[in-house]
Formats: sequence, structure tokens, C-alpha cells
Amino acid sequence: MSTTSVLTDSSDGYRQRWSWDKVTWGTHCLNCLATCNYRVYSKDGKVLFEEQGGSIETIESKVPDLNPLGCQKGSAWSQQLYSEDRILYPLRRVGERGESKFEKISWDEALTEIAHSIVDTLDEFGPESIVFEESVEGGLLSQSAFLRFASQIGAITLDAQGLVNDLPIGHHITFGKFSCASTVDDTFKSDLLLLWHSNPAYTSIPYHHFITEARYRGAQVVTVAPDYSASAVNSDLYVPVTPGTDAALALSICQVMISENIFNRDFISEQTDLSLLIRLDNNRFLRERDIKKGGGEETFYFLDQNDVLTEVSKKTLELNGVVPKLEGTADVTLADGIVITVTPVFAVLKNFLEEYEPEKASQICGVSPKVIRHLATLIASKKTKILEGFNAAKYYHGDLMERAMCLCLALSGNWGIPGTGIQGLALAGLDGYMLFSMKRKAGVEETARLLDGIDMAVDQMRQKDPEATDEMLGNQMLSLSVASGTSAPPFFFNYHHVGYRDIWNKSEWSDSSMSKTFTNYFDDAMRRGWWGGVAKPSASNPPKMMFLVGTNPIRRARGGRERMVNSLWTKLDKVVTVDFRMSSTALMSDIILPAAMQYERVNVQYPITHTLRLSFSDKAVEPRGEAKTEWEIFSLLCEKLTEVAAERNLVEYLDGKRQVRKLDKLLENFTMDGAFEKEDAIIDEWVRDSADAGTLPMGSSIDTLKEAGSIRFAGLGIFAPGLSVAADVDKDKVMTAFGWHVKNKLPFPTLTKRAQFYIDHPWFIEANEMLPIHKDNPHLGGEYPFVLTSGHSRWTVHAVSMGNKSVLSTHRGQPLVVMSSVDAANKNLEDGQFARVFNDYGSFKSMIKIATRVRPGQLIIYNGFEPHMFSEWKGSNEVEPGMVKWLHMVGKYGHLRYLPFGWQPVPADRAISVDIELADKDELREET
Amino acid sequence: MFTFSLSGLEIKSSDNGPLEVEENETTSRSAVYMVLGKFFAPVSAEQYDAALNDHLSKEIKDGASLLPFEFDTGNPKLSEGKSYEDYAGEYARLFGDEKGSRLLASHDVTDKENILAQVKRDYEYFGLGANADLRPLDHLATQCDFLQYLCFKEAATPSPRLKKSFQRAQRDFLQHYLIDWVPVLASEVAVKTPIEPFNWAILTLKNFVALDYDYISKALGG
Repeated sequence: MSTTSVLTDSSDGYRQRWSWDKVTWGTHCLNCLATCNYRVYSKDGKVLFEEQGGSIETIESKVPDLNPLGCQKGSAWSQQLYSEDRILYPLRRVGERGESKFEKISWDEALTEIAHSIVDTLDEFGPESIVFEESVEGGLLSQSAFLRFASQIGAITLDAQGLVNDLPIGHHITFGKFSCASTVDDTFKSDLLLLWHSNPAYTSIPYHHFITEARYRGAQVVTVAPDYSASAVNSDLYVPVTPGTDAALALSICQVMISENIFNRDFISEQTDLSLLIRLDNNRFLRERDIKKGGGEETFYFLDQNDVLTEVSKKTLELNGVVPKLEGTADVTLADGIVITVTPVFAVLKNFLEEYEPEKASQICGVSPKVIRHLATLIASKKTKILEGFNAAKYYHGDLMERAMCLCLALSGNWGIPGTGIQGLALAGLDGYMLFSMKRKAGVEETARLLDGIDMAVDQMRQKDPEATDEMLGNQMLSLSVASGTSAPPFFFNYHHVGYRDIWNKSEWSDSSMSKTFTNYFDDAMRRGWWGGVAKPSASNPPKMMFLVGTNPIRRARGGRERMVNSLWTKLDKVVTVDFRMSSTALMSDIILPAAMQYERVNVQYPITHTLRLSFSDKAVEPRGEAKTEWEIFSLLCEKLTEVAAERNLVEYLDGKRQVRKLDKLLENFTMDGAFEKEDAIIDEWVRDSADAGTLPMGSSIDTLKEAGSIRFAGLGIFAPGLSVAADVDKDKVMTAFGWHVKNKLPFPTLTKRAQFYIDHPWFIEANEMLPIHKDNPHLGGEYPFVLTSGHSRWTVHAVSMGNKSVLSTHRGQPLVVMSSVDAANKNLEDGQFARVFNDYGSFKSMIKIATRVRPGQLIIYNGFEPHMFSEWKGSNEVEPGMVKWLHMVGKYGHLRYLPFGWQPVPADRAISVDIELADKDELREET
Repeated sequence: MFTFSLSGLEIKSSDNGPLEVEENETTSRSAVYMVLGKFFAPVSAEQYDAALNDHLSKEIKDGASLLPFEFDTGNPKLSEGKSYEDYAGEYARLFGDEKGSRLLASHDVTDKENILAQVKRDYEYFGLGANADLRPLDHLATQCDFLQYLCFKEAATPSPRLKKSFQRAQRDFLQHYLIDWVPVLASEVAVKTPIEPFNWAILTLKNFVALDYDYISKALGG
């Protein structure tokens, strides 16, 4: 062979390696809220690689575009298709649970066994003993499949937000909704960015460039965090706050703004409840029913400059030239003739905030008074946006922190205008997806019938409540649909059946303001009917069967194995996991069904307002092994269940609402008489219906997605989740949340119709949480010297990338507990040693990583490591008791009522009290 | 009263609304698509008879009588002395073969399957199944059938929302397929110096599609 031919062969070989015969669009996960578009290159039925799409159009001139969305996890996704932890065949457990012994079985065997278990459960216990965990991670087609199946048989589906707790409950208390997020490009328009409870350099890699670009145009970036995080490195100012004391810091900033008179009086008068009157005799709002017989419960008052009692409009935030008084008192004669004194919320707040003068607050939060004053001046004078993740939400008193952070924005007039607001989570409502579950047949005429019906229902509601906004009516619609649906907050399931009741009753791990036991409050809430209709399953309805479709409670659930394995699992006759990878939960399941991954099926990701785009993932290759999509799996299960039910003569049964259900036409109903056997057709229907409803651009179809990879929304839609962002969607403008409130003066969906900082519910009064206040974090897990915090890592969000060798090779490839060099020296611990982290609840072992960036007294274990990556398969959730704040059991108080993904009690997992010691080396060696 | 007449498509649902409706400007648009659809369908004796006996001329004039825009229906008369074989031969010469293979939207497209899937989804979303045994889903005649049906449904529905949906569908379908493709087809056919009524048909289709697209876009405020 000549030299020339060798070279030619070699270069051809190289070219062949990087040549492909197919290019498709792909997207992976919702985890960091980016839903990035990738180009996926495949050859001979195998995916070779992917690269960032970079094809998103410029939205607004002179504002950087979203390109190129992506990160190292997405760019290595294709390696997971071929990784060793893929589940390729249906598997059945053959050993004891947890022994991880499985046998390969056929699909027919697997489905037959599951169908028999369903029939057994329906027959003996009823459908509410079959439980599904809701999840959005697998994309809408995954979710749609199992929710549709669950709905057909009357099973219970546990609200995903209550499971993962990405619920910024302080936003909900303040604004009546948790959806406050603008499109991420709005970040570019900020003059001051507060990275508070977030670490975007780790967790928002696709969006991080907007922070840098904002700095280029002169914005200041401030990181507020206990540790000197990767985001702090790139900030102009780092504010080191003691873990769990952010409310004290925020309230101190508010105190400075008020005392130095640098707050925005007009903004708070118009947008918030701070001008509303409080009765000093009982700390409750002055209501119409107080001063008029038969008066309204939800009509409130302020005083104008002439001390005239003025009714607060429910229809608009516009004050029409009236200037409410913010201070002073007045006497008011009640309907029964008694004279009481009232004062505006602002006056109470001002007085209350004296406890948070910087010198005092500094003692709590550890931030110097000078820095607090500097921050107050900055926030009051600049267009400020708080980039908040879901970290505060996971503190026991995270609601108070968030309420205080929102108060900083209120006093400085910082929402509803470009470059302002608080950036948490916001769902973009894909109307077509929402309509799909209501449709009885395919096509536009059914869509129009439903939309006309919704219009009619909304009109009827509007007649009853003429002052309600579309958003409020949307919430009312959602409440009605909840009552008839399968979704339930997991709180009740956890309380009755997962053993949390005993844990939540540990007063020493709870809020010290509780005067009764947790169960006393629980019973009170139940007796008052605050959770009527969604408080399921009941104590007498034990779970017998669980479906975990792409969810991983063994890793995720606060409480660890004690709650899941030793409590819940012992009650379950059958655990079915549908997943593409061997998660810790799959390892503990009875039947495992292999799911197709993105690139092996069509899918669209759950859209969120950060990009305001619907992202599409096309089928590039056939699923590996015998993997199937969830739609196929649950279609087959419908067919099998009908067959088995007929064999066993289960003709009909009653569901939890005492309605008769039948199993004879499951598949026909599931596919709408065959119209939706193919998944392309489902996505096409969602997109066309969304376009017809005005949420996506007219003329959009799945073909638009196949060509462009993603579509930007044209509107917020007609349903509550989308409408709550309250902003215009213009095709050539960045979207800023809450524009409707500030520009159009539309009221907020709260009790007072204003951003509400004062909650006069009796329980809040009992807890002294009428206003945001700082409360010390309870000693979750006992009294120990360290607080364990967490957050998403740079290498994975949740556990999805934990089986990806490329990603694993970018870190130590195993769980790490990160601690300060000072603490390590004091404890004689060294980097690379194995430590035991423990408290009264439990313990886990992990390798130590020493970092000077971590503050003394803090331990960090990043989220996502699978329990089976730890010794004894005990993950970091082993020390998390999963405490729930009692106040969040309040219901039927204005906006404090359950809505899917919204208001509900959720477990805390931040700032857990722990200690750390060197693990027994011999023990670890034995396990290894 | 006006009723639609599909040949390449079939209605899937049994409860699909009224089958006839009072004539008006929208049914007039539907009627023109119906006549043109029948003309471009795979060649048949029926088409020849219509051209020979001037039925085609009458049908298009009657159909277009209530159109909301100015439209010259022309004179679609068969050239003197042409037999059915001449007629069928001309159809095949101009349109590829007697089934009209040149009249497929996927004619010169590499990803034919994709086009077929796309039009099928369009039809199905609007309650129609495709009769693929009769002729390809993307045949010009089938596409005219679809537009005929959408116009009819627009006229028949009492729902203002649905009326808009059908209007948008017409505009989107014209924009996606016919508005670009028909002028190209017309140019190709023109250089082959077609005899009548083929010359008439292709020019009439080209003009009508442009006028109708303009009309429906304006109706939708675009």
C-alpha cells in the first residue's frame, strides 16, 4: 500500500466518522428550564452526536438573542442512549425488593402482570389505591400518556410541584401566583441583577450570557449567598449571608428604603396592599362587613388624604388621582356601634421594620450594615431584577424570605417594567395540550366546541363576578377542573400513608410559634373543609400500586429510605417503573418497563416563559432494545387491561367520586377511536389547537416544528397557568412579567386584589407572620453544628446525567460533601476522605471535598447523586426529615387555596441540622 | 342551496354538520374550487363531456356568480374537433400522465413522504379522511377539494370562532401549497402551448388562487 493510499484511507475514515445521513431536531429535558434546541446527527440508525441549534430568531433589536441554547449535559445526551444504565427490556424482580435481581420478560408478560395487579387493586381497594407521580421531565407526550391512563381508570396522580417542591410559595402569598418569570432576555435590560438564592453559573448555563451581556451594558451584578459560589466569582459584589437569614437581610434593606425615604410611594400605593387599613383591635383588615350589615368579606378600605374611608377597587389598580394615606390612624365606627382604630399596613410595617435596622439585622444575617445600606440605595435607584432559583422555596421559612425579597421590589417599584421583577418559574400554557384531555374526538370542530364552551362558562362566571380579570376567571376554571380531576397534592398521601405524620409532629423540628400539634392543625384544616375535594387519598384508602413514570422518589423524596422503602414500599403490592435508565427507584421496583429516550421518539417539552418557546424533539433513530414510548406503553396497557378485566369479569367499579367506571373501551377512549395512535398526530393536534386558540402563531403545525425546531409563543393562552404571567406577548419584544398589572392596572388574583404583604388569616396572626418576618430556621433533624444546604450542580440537574460517562468524567464521579477548609481543619478531615454526615433522623456517607469558598458551619451536597452511588445506597435525603410548614395547610382564604402546581404544603430540605465525622474506613472498604 | 362534492376526500365523522347551505359569496368560492378540482382530477370521460358540451363553462359561471371579488371566468371551450383521446392525450402531455403525476405537490420534492404526511394531517384536523386509493393526497384536485370543503364549512358553521378557524385554514393552506406552486405549474404548462380548455384552466386556477388568497388574507385582517 502506498503512502498516498494510506493517507487517503485515513482521511476518509475521519470524514466517515463525522458524516451523517440524517439531521433532526432534538431537545432533552426541562430541568434547567431551557428546553434547548439541538441538531442531532445520525447515521445508519445510530446517533453520532448533537450540537447546539443556534437558529433562534432575534426577538428585539439590540437585545442579545437566545442562541446558542445548550450546555455540556445536552451536548453529551446522545452518549446516554448507548450507556450501560439504559433499560432495554421489560424486567421483573426475582429477588427481594432492593436485591436488584431481575429477569428479562416479554412485553406481554409484563403488561399482563400489571393488568392483573390493577384489576386486583380495583376490585379490592378501588382506583384511588393506584397512585401515579406526576412529572414534567419526560416531556409532554410522556406526561400526557400516563395522566390520560390514570384519568381513565380513576387513579390518583400526585401534583409534581408538591413532589419536587420548586414552588416559590412566598410568591404565591404575595402575588396570588407563583408564575412571575419574564423571558430570560429581559435580564439584559436590568441595571441591577441580584443573584439571590440562585447560582446561574451552575444551573442556568444556557442563559448565563444574559448576565454577562447586561454587565457589558453597565448593569451591576450582586450575588447574595452563604457560599462564594461560581456565580459570585463573576459578580460586582458578593454579599455573604448566613444560611436561612435572607428575610432579615431583605427586611433590613426595606427598613433603609423607608427610613431614608427612598421608596416608591406611588408604586406601593397602587400595586400593593400597603395602604389598606388594619384594625388595631384584632390585627385584621377592615372589611365592609365590619362597618355595614351584610357587607362584603372581601371589600377593603384605605384612607385618602382627607381621612375619608375609601373602598379599594377590585376592578383596577388605578387610583384616579386619589392618594392613599400610608401612615397615621383613624377611628372607625363598626356596624354594631363600637369604635375601633385603624391604620394602614404601611404604618404597621414601618414600625415593625425598626427591628431590622441594619445594625440589628446584621446580627442575624451576618451582612455588614454598610453593605445593607448600600444595597438598599442600589435597589431603590436602579431597575432591579432578582434572579431567584428554587432554593428559597426549599427552606422551611422560605416563604418569609421570598415575601421579604418581593417587598424590596415593591418598595423600589421594581416589577412590570423591562429589566425588573423576580425570576422564578413560569409555565407557558400550551392551550392545545390543555384542551387535549377535554376532547372527545379529534379535529378543529371539537376544539371550537370546547373553546366556545369555555367562553360560555367564563361569561357565566363573569356575570357572577363582573370585576374579575381573565386571570382570576382562569383560576376559577382551574379550581372547578381540579375538583373533577385525578390530581391531588401529595401532602395528604404523605401524611396518611408514607409515615410523615409522626415526623411532622416533632415540635422540636418545627416552627416554635405552633401552639398545638401538627395533627391538631391538620384536623382543624380538614374540619373547616379547606382542602375539600383534593384531600386524597384518605387514611382509609391505602396505596397498593404505584406507577413511577420517569420519576425517582427513592432519590428525590425528603425522608429517604425510611419514608419510601421502610414505610411506603411495605404497603405497595406492586411498584411499576417506566424509565429509560436504571434509577435507584427502578432498582427497587417490581416491574420495570423500558422507555424510549429523546431522539428515539417525537416529543415536545413543557414550555416555560424563560424562552417562551415550544421546543420539539424528533425521532432520529429507533428505540434501543425493546424500549417503547410512554404513549405506546399505556396504549398497550389499555388493551391488556380491557382483556384481563373481561377475563376476570370486572365489568364495572366505582371510583373515588362514586361514579361508575368501565374498562371495556379503554383503548378506544385513550386514542379517541384511533385518531391518536400515532404520536405525530397528537403533537400536531396540540400545536394546531394552540394556534387556533392564539397561543402559537397561526398556521403552526408539527411540520413547523420539524422545520424550525421550536416556535415562539404568540400569546399566553386562555388557561390560568399562562395568564398568570400577565404580560403582552409581542413577536418583536422581550416579555416582561406583570406588565398587565403595572401598565394596564389589572388587579392581582389575591384576596385584596393587590400584591399582598399582609395576610390576616387567623393562623398567620397566630404565627406572627402577617407581614414577612425573619424566623430562625427550625433545627430540622436535631441540634447539630452544621447546616446542610444543596442546589443543582454544574454537572447534572437531578439524576438524569448521572449515568453519562462524559459528564461523570468532568468531576470526581461520585457524591461529594463540600465543606470549608476551616471546618475540615477543626475536624481533622481531609479532602478525599469519606465522611459520615448524620443527625437524629439519619445519616449518609460521602467523599469530602474541601473548598475555601464554603463558609464555616455550612456543608453542601449538590443535588442529583443517586442513592446507589452512596455506600449502603443511602443518599443525602437520609438526613432530610421533610418537614412541612403548618401555615401552608391554610385554605379557602382568598388566594390561599389549592391550584395544580400552586399553593400546597411542600416539604423543606434546606439548612438541615447535621454533624460530620470521619466514616469508618473498614466499614466502607467492606461495602466496596 | 349549495352542497359540496368531494371526490378525493371523505368525511370521517357521522355528525359533521349540515350538508347544504344557502348560497352566498363563500359558497361561491367553494363552487369555483369544486369546478377546478373536478377539471384537474385524473382524466375521465366526464371531464371531456363537460368541456365538449360547455357544461364546464356554465358550471364555472354559475359557481362564480356570487364571488366577493371581480373574477373573469373566461371561456373554457374545448378546441374544435377534439376527441376524448385527444383530450386525454393533452391532459397526459401537460400533466405528466393521465393520472396527473405532475399535479402532485410532491412532484419535484425529494421528501415526498413528508409532503404526504403534512397534507394528510391538514385534512384530518379538519375532519376529513383521504381517499388515497382514488388519487394521491397531494394531487392538485384533492387540494382543490379540501379548499372547497373549507369554504363550505366556513359558510355552514354558526360558530364565529369556527368560521375564523376555517378562514385561517384556507389562508394557511393556500400559502403553504398553492400560492407558490400554481404559478410555477402555470409557467411550465404555458410553454407547452396547451389547447383549450387546458390553457383556460391553468390560467383560471392561477388567477383565482391569487385573488382568493388576497381576499381571505384581508378578511382575516392581514
